[in-house]
Amino acid sequence: MSYTIALAGNPNCGKTTLFNELTGSRQHVGNWPGVTVDKKEGTYKKNKEINMLDLPGTYSLSPYSAEEIVARDYIVKEKPDAVINIVDGTSIERNLYLTLQVLETGIPTVVAMNMMDEVENRGDKIDCQKLSQILGVPVVPIVARTGKGLDELMKAAHKTASGARPSNQLLIFGDDIEQAIEEIKEHLTEGTPGDRQWTAIKLLEGDEVIAKTLEPAQAGTIQDIVDRMDSKCSGDTEAAIADQRYQYIGQLVKKTVKKAQSGHVETRSDKLDKILTNRVLALPIFAAVMYLLFAATFSENFLFIPGLPSPGVWLAGLVETAWGALTGLVEGGLTAVGASGWALGLVLSCMDGIGAVAGFLPLVLVLFLLLSFLEDSGYMARVAFVMDRIFRRFGLSGRSFIPLLMGFGCSVPALMASRTLENDKDRKITMMITPFMSCGAKLPIYLMFAVTLFVNSNQTMIVFGIYMIGLLAAVASAFILGKLLKGGEVSNFIMELPAYRIPTLKSVLIHAWEKVKGFAVKAGTVIFGSTVLIWLLSSFNFSGMCEMEDSFLASIGNAIKFIFIPLGFADWRASVGVVTGWIAKENIVATFGQLFGGVSDEVIEAVSAGEEALPAITSVFTPAAAWAYMTFNLLCMPCFAAVGAIKREMGSWKWTLRAVGYQMLTAYIVAFVVYHLFGLFY
Amino acid sequence: MALAMVGIGETRTITELRVKEEMKRHLQDLGFTVGEKVYVAGENSSGLILKIKGARIALNRGLATKISVA
Repeated sequence: MSYTIALAGNPNCGKTTLFNELTGSRQHVGNWPGVTVDKKEGTYKKNKEINMLDLPGTYSLSPYSAEEIVARDYIVKEKPDAVINIVDGTSIERNLYLTLQVLETGIPTVVAMNMMDEVENRGDKIDCQKLSQILGVPVVPIVARTGKGLDELMKAAHKTASGARPSNQLLIFGDDIEQAIEEIKEHLTEGTPGDRQWTAIKLLEGDEVIAKTLEPAQAGTIQDIVDRMDSKCSGDTEAAIADQRYQYIGQLVKKTVKKAQSGHVETRSDKLDKILTNRVLALPIFAAVMYLLFAATFSENFLFIPGLPSPGVWLAGLVETAWGALTGLVEGGLTAVGASGWALGLVLSCMDGIGAVAGFLPLVLVLFLLLSFLEDSGYMARVAFVMDRIFRRFGLSGRSFIPLLMGFGCSVPALMASRTLENDKDRKITMMITPFMSCGAKLPIYLMFAVTLFVNSNQTMIVFGIYMIGLLAAVASAFILGKLLKGGEVSNFIMELPAYRIPTLKSVLIHAWEKVKGFAVKAGTVIFGSTVLIWLLSSFNFSGMCEMEDSFLASIGNAIKFIFIPLGFADWRASVGVVTGWIAKENIVATFGQLFGGVSDEVIEAVSAGEEALPAITSVFTPAAAWAYMTFNLLCMPCFAAVGAIKREMGSWKWTLRAVGYQMLTAYIVAFVVYHLFGLFY
Repeated sequence: MALAMVGIGETRTITELRVKEEMKRHLQDLGFTVGEKVYVAGENSSGLILKIKGARIALNRGLATKISVA
């Protein structure tokens, strides 16, 4: 016979770690409260008959967030055969608040007392046997991170699920509330006695979701009982119930927990927080951490040592070399077997397209390994808190900072990082503005114009200016979108800060791999498809294969160039550049190379050497038009890989299109303003 | 007085939660009930870090002004 056992517990109690240990499943482990929003299922690795379900982290069974509703609905309505309630032994009082509510549901329960190693290190003692006697359910001490006690836990859970012994009837509430519960129960007809007990308590707590399920006839009489109770409890039965639960827990803890020291005990985490969240030091330390993170991922001169590539750059170089060699082999092979020109062209351009993604993959991998480490260590929660003050001014919460910062490297991992944002509105806005942070691939575009058109200006200032335009667009957008989108004001910031822990290698690897896998597969398919399409369009017209100037792409460029008249660059080649930029932004430089009569590799080399690369573009672009063109390509739809990431994280085409639409509109308006404003100066 | 006014290292007792129904419920779930002791472990320009019922909670100053303590 098979059973379903659900894991329930507070955020950060080690629930996901336990789930991974029990199922061996590949799954995200995070320190952000509420990170497991979806239902996650697996089977117990030592008994395939036992299905395990990882419920979202929840502080109580009263719905506050979407996660809590999911957890509660599952426990109450779908009724697993047993619930394993994980309790963080280091904050047992707060954690038992959920335990009491789970027991109220009457579902067979086993309590897993987690973090027992840390409890012992503090010199505290928890008498699990006594706790078990009082509650009437098994209480098993475990250490989820090391796997200690898990066999005993599962034995107890198996026994509980098959035996279904109810927990003790706990006397938590005072006479008044107990009597009101009994009165309400008399008017309830549906469900098991356990269901009725639970429903009655929730009705007294003023739970609107439950109240709506009542028949009109019941509702009136029950409301009278609730109102009567409210007036006895000076208008707040809910607070009285919460209070009595905590009082009960207080007594329970007194009987079962021996603390080595009373009062406030300063832990290692407290000491670290004094430095890492310090009023003065927090920001400089965070800046240093972020610098190291980026340097390790993107830097060509790692740790300021000229020519020393960072681990990310070094790995990317290896992949590019390997891919180049493979492409060479394929080219040689195809030529040897006498493949036709178009077949060769198609295969090679596809390989280039995939190679562009493959070259990014090591960067993404290194970035995510480091980010996963920071997240699992508990530091990210502090960063969100420290940045909250600054971001609140722009209508965002502190949690948006990480994705936006990562956007300067590459939008794709940045967009994926936005999933750590709890608030739906914050997450959507962050995703919409992340591409405004100028990514690494856009830099060659600015350099190309800077060295060609702005020979006598400070070229660094031109590049810096473009970055600033992106930043300003992002800030203004956060403000505007904050007013436009539904979801109310920026919510108050309240978040549990988990204890600092050195993450296990296994959890960091699982965590990083989850994200990189998605990047490789989804972004790869989008890139691949678009590469084939653009190649076809740029190599053919109705009479067959042709030069680029006569291709479909040129016709399309000519057809759409009128759109850009107000922006100052109504040229088919410029238009085509915008389109090829959507495959990969650095493509624009290569496209210009081909269309303005250069060899693309040489153009890129000249650009990086700071030489005047493409004199021909001065005939098409005025300086103001060049500014407009750079601005437009910075702000308009990001590359397809990033759009794929937006689609995946938004989870809907509607919102993906809205995001892209917003970016296009912003790009057009800002480029228009830039063109006319800069026209006054040049 | 408001919780936001309490200095680092001080322990106070919560006397009132002056917030909307939903936030009140969430605060209660996190251990903030009238009569509960709360220790201020740290503060910065974003807000306060509190110790309550053995857990470490960060909250912004705006919210901390709505929690009364004695």
